Amino acid sequence: METKKILLVDDDLDLLEQNKILLEAKGYTVVTADNMKGAMETFQREKPDAAVLDLIMEEHDAGFILAHKIKKDPYGKTIPVFLLTSATYVTGMKFSAETSEEREWINVDGWFNKPIPVDELAEKLETFFKNRK
Amino acid sequence: MAEEKPRVIIVDDEKGLRMGTKRLLESEGYIVDTAENGTEGIALGTTGDYDMAIIDLKMPDIDGIEVLRNIKEKMPNTVCFIATAYASYETAIEATKLGAASYIPKPFTPDELINHLQEGYEKRKLILDSERLRKEREERLLEIATEKSRLNTIVNSIADGVLVTNLMGELVLFNPASMKYFELSNSIIGEYILDFLPASVKDIILKVLNNKESSKSFSAEIELKPNRELVVDVTCSPVPQPDGSLIGVVTVITNITELKRLEYVKSQFVSMVAHELKTPVAAVLGFLRIILDQNISTTPEQENDYLSRSEKRLQALVEMVNDLLDISRMEMKTKQREIKDIDIPEVVKSNLDFLELELQKRGIKVIYTAEENLPMVKADSGEVNRIFTNIISNAMKYNKDNGTITASVKKSGNYIVCAIKDTGIGMRPQDKEKLFQEFYRIKNDKTRNIPGTGLGLSIVKRLIESYSGKIEVNSEYGEGSEFIVYLPYKK
Repeated sequence: METKKILLVDDDLDLLEQNKILLEAKGYTVVTADNMKGAMETFQREKPDAAVLDLIMEEHDAGFILAHKIKKDPYGKTIPVFLLTSATYVTGMKFSAETSEEREWINVDGWFNKPIPVDELAEKLETFFKNRK
Repeated sequence: MAEEKPRVIIVDDEKGLRMGTKRLLESEGYIVDTAENGTEGIALGTTGDYDMAIIDLKMPDIDGIEVLRNIKEKMPNTVCFIATAYASYETAIEATKLGAASYIPKPFTPDELINHLQEGYEKRKLILDSERLRKEREERLLEIATEKSRLNTIVNSIADGVLVTNLMGELVLFNPASMKYFELSNSIIGEYILDFLPASVKDIILKVLNNKESSKSFSAEIELKPNRELVVDVTCSPVPQPDGSLIGVVTVITNITELKRLEYVKSQFVSMVAHELKTPVAAVLGFLRIILDQNISTTPEQENDYLSRSEKRLQALVEMVNDLLDISRMEMKTKQREIKDIDIPEVVKSNLDFLELELQKRGIKVIYTAEENLPMVKADSGEVNRIFTNIISNAMKYNKDNGTITASVKKSGNYIVCAIKDTGIGMRPQDKEKLFQEFYRIKNDKTRNIPGTGLGLSIVKRLIESYSGKIEVNSEYGEGSEFIVYLPYKK
């Protein structure tokens, strides 16, 4: 089985490193970025099989914008995108994705609370990869 | 004669009869005045409040009928008797028409006179009683009228909406505030109103109506305008009759918008705090799990790195919790202050001195100026120190290497004004706006490695404002920022 490549984006460098290690332990290749610009570049360069994005980064809803950009990309729309959130509200953030409507509106494939439940994420990813074959 | 002695006036030109009658009546307990002619009779009878008057018909100056007319005109409640030997049917009729109680033919026996007067006095008492009752009733009516209009005025001036409906749902009473809340403009008393009220209000009114036995009130919070723009508490209570049966519902509408906004801000704050606490805890937990996980191999160097990073996160967390406790103490005003004379230039200077080593290390130059003989500021020294420690350490943290910090202290108006200017990364206008919000930290590549809780400036602002001072910020993105603190001094 070929190794799947996952793009992991988080502006908290500690959490980014930990999740990278945890996902690598699950057998994935992990490429990381800690800001929106770097994430887009990594995405274009690495063509990952899935993306796991922190919702709240430097621009507060950067994860959402990033998810939106990836889903608009011809390649990006073929891969699963997951958003991570630990907040229902953060100062300055215009939107909170508290309700199911809001989550539906942000067209991603799943939501996870931080810290990432790695087993659950891996399960979701596997289901996704299986169905796509 | 009982409690009060009846007062009588005798108007008679015949002295013997006048005095004899006076003596007789006085012996019976009457108070008696006499008048020896018509003129005097009118003068006395129209000025004194007599219970009864005995008026001789034939007098040399003015005749008794004229005296009677005058007295009755002025004192309608005086019971008058006409006494005369020249009795005639016509005079009797004329006298009664003018208000005489009776006609006493002369000569009269003492008993006859006393009988007449006793009857007359009874009549007088009845007249006075009914007069008193009439007056009381009039006063009561006036009171009720005043009370009603007073009540109306009060109900109309209440800021809360008040609206009373009967069992049929018809409007019985309302004030302008209730119409304003429900955006009704031409409702009238007696009109069926329930369908014009918001559905949720109608529901609770019906709830009260259907709950006939109980005296229970029902209330609901209703958002009349979305996004917390107008939120009201609507409370409907039954209006009982004296026998306890329900005759209507009184609905009181209270504006609770401000309360709801505060509640929202509070829960937002709690949510932010939870998030800010959770992130470092999650980071530490993550490192520990990786170290403990048998399936993940880590070198001792890696483990050391993870542990020291965990320590840093926990250290920052403790600082944040301390800041939060400080904010909470400020909010609850539980902190004891020790107010002393504070020399602001000294505080600024000592803070700059404290950072000297670190400033040198980064090549940051300090330009410090202060006016001579500045007045003292009355404040708690710990709190003032905290204000300047925060601002000055920010000026260092967010400065460029080899930059400059310009600090100046002067007097301006009623304030000691201290400006701390750096040549650091500066702020965008949108960041400047949110600078004093709790947990707001400017996040970009340049700030990533600058530690902070996001609470410092929020605390600084609270402290300054608690001393009736103010803080201003000037900033140019990429050029630097200037914080200006105004603290009032005691003259």
